[in-house]
Amino acid sequence: MDIVACIKRVPDTSEVDVIKIDASQKDIEKDRLVFKINDWDEYVLEEAVQLREKLGGTLTAVTVGHNDWDDVLRRALAMGADTGIRIDQDVSAEDTHVVAKILKTVIQQIPHDLVLFGAQSEDFGSGQLGAMVAEMLDIPHATLVVGLEAEEKRVRVNRELEAGTLESYTIELPALLTIHTGINQPRYISLGGIKRAMKKELQVMSLSDLQLSPDALNPMVRLEKLELPPKGEGAELITGAPGEAAEQLTKILKDTGIF
Amino acid sequence: MAVIDYKYKDVIHRCFRCGYCKFPNNWIDVNNCPAYARFRMETYSCGGRLWLVRAWVNGEIDWSEHFAQIVYSCTACKNCEQQCPLRFNVDIVNMIVAAKSEMVERGEIPPSAKEFLENVQRQGNPYGNSREKRGEWMEGTGIEAYQGQEFLYYVGCVGSYDTRGQKTARVLGKVLQKAGVSFGVLGNDENCDGNEVRSLGEETLFEMLAEENVAQFQSLGVQKIVTLSPHSYNAMKNDYPGFNGGFDVAHYTQLLQSLISDGRLDVSGGVNATVTYHDPCFLGRWNEEYEAPRNVLKSIPGIQLIEMERNRDGALCCGGGGGNFYIDLLGGSEDSPARRRVREAHETGADVLAVACPNCLTMLEDAVKAEELEDKLTVKDVAEIVGEACGIK
Amino acid sequence: MDSVYQALVDIVGQEHVSNRQEELFIYSFDLGTTEPHRPDYAVAPRTTEEIQEIVRLANREKVPVVPLGGGLSLAGLAVPFKGGIALDLKRMDSIIEVNEKARYALVECGVSQAQMVSYLERYHPTLTHSEPGAPGPATIGGNVAIHGQGDLAQPYGFNSDMVNGLEIVLPTGEVCRFGSCSISSGWFTLHPLPDLGLFLGWSGTTGIITKVSLRLFPCKRIRGVGQFVVENEELVPEVIHKLTHTQMAEDIIAYSQAVPPFSSGLQHFLINLAADSEKELEFKQEIIWDDTLGEYIRRGDGGFLGFRQGLERPVVSKTSDWRKGGGFEYVGAIMPVDTYPECYRQGREISERHDIPYTVLGRCIGMAHAMMFSWTYAFNRADPESIKQAREALHETDDLALELGGTLWKPGLYGQKLVMERMDPHTLELMKKVKQLLDPNGIMNPGNWEVS
Repeated sequence: MDIVACIKRVPDTSEVDVIKIDASQKDIEKDRLVFKINDWDEYVLEEAVQLREKLGGTLTAVTVGHNDWDDVLRRALAMGADTGIRIDQDVSAEDTHVVAKILKTVIQQIPHDLVLFGAQSEDFGSGQLGAMVAEMLDIPHATLVVGLEAEEKRVRVNRELEAGTLESYTIELPALLTIHTGINQPRYISLGGIKRAMKKELQVMSLSDLQLSPDALNPMVRLEKLELPPKGEGAELITGAPGEAAEQLTKILKDTGIF
Repeated sequence: MAVIDYKYKDVIHRCFRCGYCKFPNNWIDVNNCPAYARFRMETYSCGGRLWLVRAWVNGEIDWSEHFAQIVYSCTACKNCEQQCPLRFNVDIVNMIVAAKSEMVERGEIPPSAKEFLENVQRQGNPYGNSREKRGEWMEGTGIEAYQGQEFLYYVGCVGSYDTRGQKTARVLGKVLQKAGVSFGVLGNDENCDGNEVRSLGEETLFEMLAEENVAQFQSLGVQKIVTLSPHSYNAMKNDYPGFNGGFDVAHYTQLLQSLISDGRLDVSGGVNATVTYHDPCFLGRWNEEYEAPRNVLKSIPGIQLIEMERNRDGALCCGGGGGNFYIDLLGGSEDSPARRRVREAHETGADVLAVACPNCLTMLEDAVKAEELEDKLTVKDVAEIVGEACGIK
Repeated sequence: MDSVYQALVDIVGQEHVSNRQEELFIYSFDLGTTEPHRPDYAVAPRTTEEIQEIVRLANREKVPVVPLGGGLSLAGLAVPFKGGIALDLKRMDSIIEVNEKARYALVECGVSQAQMVSYLERYHPTLTHSEPGAPGPATIGGNVAIHGQGDLAQPYGFNSDMVNGLEIVLPTGEVCRFGSCSISSGWFTLHPLPDLGLFLGWSGTTGIITKVSLRLFPCKRIRGVGQFVVENEELVPEVIHKLTHTQMAEDIIAYSQAVPPFSSGLQHFLINLAADSEKELEFKQEIIWDDTLGEYIRRGDGGFLGFRQGLERPVVSKTSDWRKGGGFEYVGAIMPVDTYPECYRQGREISERHDIPYTVLGRCIGMAHAMMFSWTYAFNRADPESIKQAREALHETDDLALELGGTLWKPGLYGQKLVMERMDPHTLELMKKVKQLLDPNGIMNPGNWEVS
């Protein structure tokens, strides 16, 4: 089976107060941030590697970004991907449609039975990219996949709906899936593994290599402004022995109508 | 026979599983291996662990999460190495770490260990907190950045980010200021010392940290280092020389011992307390320093020092080593080593349990709460007790 | 869901039961040459009540129960030959009472020898128990169950002779107490109530010992070991006979081993003496060395190698490292003392033929009524050939001990069969009846002492 996994590099924003809006008010200050692979994409890579271990074939990891984005591809290669492809274009400020067009062009040129995306990204979180690419490629897709069984020519997927309800589909390949967290347990990638992956093949392509001119990529959506949410009024601290505090908390939760 | 290319495959079969590794040298308690104390199943004793690793290496059992958990429940306290009567005992902790390394390379480690290591990779500390906040502990203390002073005061991850650890980091800094010691800190530029990373089996990450730290210290002209944590002390004293890091490394209790005996630090203010001292594994069994912290405590007027049954090289590990202060494989029960140790401390009649390690501090303080002994036993770092004696809040 | 597993969880809590491969793997092994057999569950109970419930469950579901203490019998006595529940008794480790006046300790079965030694040293330094040569983690319960012997064997006999009371859980779940404890709260004597000695020496096939009242003995201030050596093994029985006549020694051991090479072929004696004063020590030394052994020394037949104060803790595990192999097993037999020379000679021959450095040892029990004679065979756990050699040597030695007129101590399955073949048929018949009476469903440590 030939699998293509599309992955993204995002800033580590687990601590909110390290995020500052920059002077342009359309982006955040990035120079003191630490970057990492998008959380959902860890599950994508783990799923892809497990499928490949089971069914054989090829696994190609693809990303769109500048030089530094090589590190997410190195991670994919360390996990077991055969090739990594980076399209050298900074699209962090571009709308989803632009990114989709680029990815569609790349994917079309390589063997692909199964195309995998994360269900959404940690930064902008639009959740649209996978579905758009599927439409552009004219292949069936399913989003929010939490369970996956694959055979040579088809896949059986479980999608997660509200309140833990699962929906099952059988989809003929080629197909595209967006993967939700929790579908597996991503393995740890050691530093030694990443170093060894430095020896593996990593292709860098430009837009012109793809025969895409910059103006063919006109955005359909333009970002106007980024701002931080207003600060709340402060927290109420509940003190006292555990039993009393629990009673107090229960009362608050009931009174505010949360329960 | 080996299906895994394991470094100690020609030695590991020599464990007889006699079980001496469960005891301290005075035999007073069978619960001296922290993992065995917690679970009391043979699989968690050192011998059981070694036999399981051998079985895995030989393909007799498959990897499973339970297997990984058993291996990672080892806190590298060295009680077993010390107690084992056989000649291969010098390699026991190395054998377990080597098994962890094999699992790290396969990505087959417990989820909490994965988090620990990924956080260190990304943010230089196991908690995953931002590097931008590493120096927050020193706000308001007037402690200076390192710029060539006599000592580099190396705080470490727990001292920098854990709220309880931060208190100790601050007090120690103020004590050093009071004694007129010339020192500076790295603040946000400080990176993890790597000691726990190595004991978790991530050898390449440890090497990277050691190399980067040595380069950083050398570029700043560091010659003497005083550490808050025995873990940092161990890595910098014993491992960094292998990376060209020949620094003069002291644990803070050793520095305080000489400051007090030289008269540079005045502790005559005294503290009235009966204290029992818990030997941290990385200062005690790993580096054989049992007396400096005791001498510091004994030099403070008003302190009455009582020993627990298991002390010095017989001390029971708090259960925080091998990354367990974060990955927490030994908690959740009254049998946890930390809770056992707290009960043992309480039995001496002491009202203060003194520690010299920020990991021990958090582990034992949590255990005091779990044992509901908050109004009978207080856990304090030696630095905090010294601080009280010099009138520092 | 496995209903037996769930029932066990309900009895002891999830943390103290396992049906996972890791626990099952470890609990399937004896540390000697016995082939491993997997249990289905590993369970570590804390109380007698929990054990009762486990045993009742096992009876209902016809699941075997294999009790173990330290699991250090080295004869496969705690190997789950028919699967079932490996019952790890080491969590029952409370020292309940030490009665100084009546000199006994009431302990739970899982108290380790190490714990007993250190507890008495710390809290009752004028009392000691008979400490066996097994590693520290061996349990009091396990040791009396197999009729162990310790460093007070010469004056006071087998460790099982030092039992003042027992609490047992029967295979059908009832709790019984034997001795004064069954009628009062004191655990000071086993006799003179009707003998119900149906649980010691039975390898756990008739019930589970949960409490032991163990006799303690005076611990004198000065304890030490004198060493004596002779070249001629024929002299050993008479030396032991004379030494026991003096009634001055606490422990008398004769041994010989190939390692270190210079001592090969020599017969060493370790003679433990204890005294509360220099005067007493000198007195005893005079009687032993001058009056009794003096003639051998003067004739040049024996040499005095010195007296060392302090008793060393046993580190018998070092034997396991002789072939850098992590393993050894031994045949222990209770032999007439005058068989020592033959035991030594033939045992040495068997060892040498199997390419194993020989180690033999005889510990005097009582007034030389018998000795425990052991032949030890080290092996390399990573070398299947060396395990095979050790196993063959062990079987040959089992045969030898019986041929020389002795009986096997704590035999494994092979030795048990040899003993039963030679046993008086009415006694064997009675054993069968007792077993059927106590364990109608045959759940207790099956495979052991099965009378056909």
